[in-house]
Amino acid sequence: MHNFATWLYASAPSALIRSQEVWIIPTIQSIHIIGIATAVGSAFMIAMRVTGWLGADQTLLQTQRRYGPWLAGALWLLLATGLLLVLAEPPRELDAVSFWMKMTLVALMALIAFTFQRSVRLHDQRWETTLLRQPGVKWAALLTFVVWGAIIFLGRFIAYDQIWNRVLPGIKG
Amino acid sequence: MNITPWLKALEDSGVATTIRNSSYLFPSLEAVHVIGLGLMVGTITVVDLRLLGLASWSRSAERVSDEVLKWTWAAFALVALSGFTMFTTNARVYAHNTAFLIKLVLLVAAGLNMALFHLTAARSMHHWDRKAAPPIGKAAAILSLLLWVAVVFAGRVVGFTTTGQQAKEQAPPPSTTNFDDFLSGGASSAPPAAPAPAK
Repeated sequence: MHNFATWLYASAPSALIRSQEVWIIPTIQSIHIIGIATAVGSAFMIAMRVTGWLGADQTLLQTQRRYGPWLAGALWLLLATGLLLVLAEPPRELDAVSFWMKMTLVALMALIAFTFQRSVRLHDQRWETTLLRQPGVKWAALLTFVVWGAIIFLGRFIAYDQIWNRVLPGIKG
Repeated sequence: MNITPWLKALEDSGVATTIRNSSYLFPSLEAVHVIGLGLMVGTITVVDLRLLGLASWSRSAERVSDEVLKWTWAAFALVALSGFTMFTTNARVYAHNTAFLIKLVLLVAAGLNMALFHLTAARSMHHWDRKAAPPIGKAAAILSLLLWVAVVFAGRVVGFTTTGQQAKEQAPPPSTTNFDDFLSGGASSAPPAAPAPAK
């Protein structure tokens, strides 16, 4: 992976982004943060509907139709801007323990979001009549906040990746 | 009025010193700042799109704004607290940073825009509870969306202009390239005795 990162760093597209770095990288990062706001906002509205604390005048299906596409769109935007950031500085991202932990959680949450949205579309009656009344479902909704928060933490800690050496000595070469 | 002694006092405070001497507190504050701004900008967008009639337009405008804005304010408290705490760690540098000052002006503008909305369009909300807001409400919503995006950009530029230049001058090898780090500059201008939080 490190060899790949070094090779990618030396490649023309990567050098192009860095040569314009004065404005390109902060711009991509800002768009990435706007994507985070969109994803957090829409995931929040859906999860809070599951707990029943927000938007109780709407069914879960209505809530999912309102915010689901925004969540999916935001995740695609985050993937696109994230790929550009990896391309710009491959070793910073690909050699980072935080980066791979973050990607694992992102893959998990994307899978959960996809499965949940599909289930709400296919079984909306069952969600309204039984599933939403189960306390376990509310706890699961609250747990998603913890995981989204962990993803944001890990994303920020990519820049401070040496910290992992203290927790797990030797993990950072 | 010379505020430099006040800024210096903030930097010398126990909280600021503790954060500068820690390798994980500063990045943790940054992460909390991002979580808070995500929730804040996300929920503001929900209300702005409702005002514009672009989304949730069949729902009561009053209900949408009432129940969502409570969380916006909670998130704002988180963002303001984490932001101010980060400011104290390197107050004199931030206070003289153009991007930081622009960000403050944008924040004041966003606050005035919100106040203006509450004094005008929001007063007649019961008339347009099931419709898009009147033109002045729509204008406030568009201005709000633009201002918050600008605040995020300005905030990101603060990192590049207070910290990035130093990191770039040091010209680290590829495996440690980190010139875009938001706060490493803030950290690296801490007293030499303090370990730099970011590489």
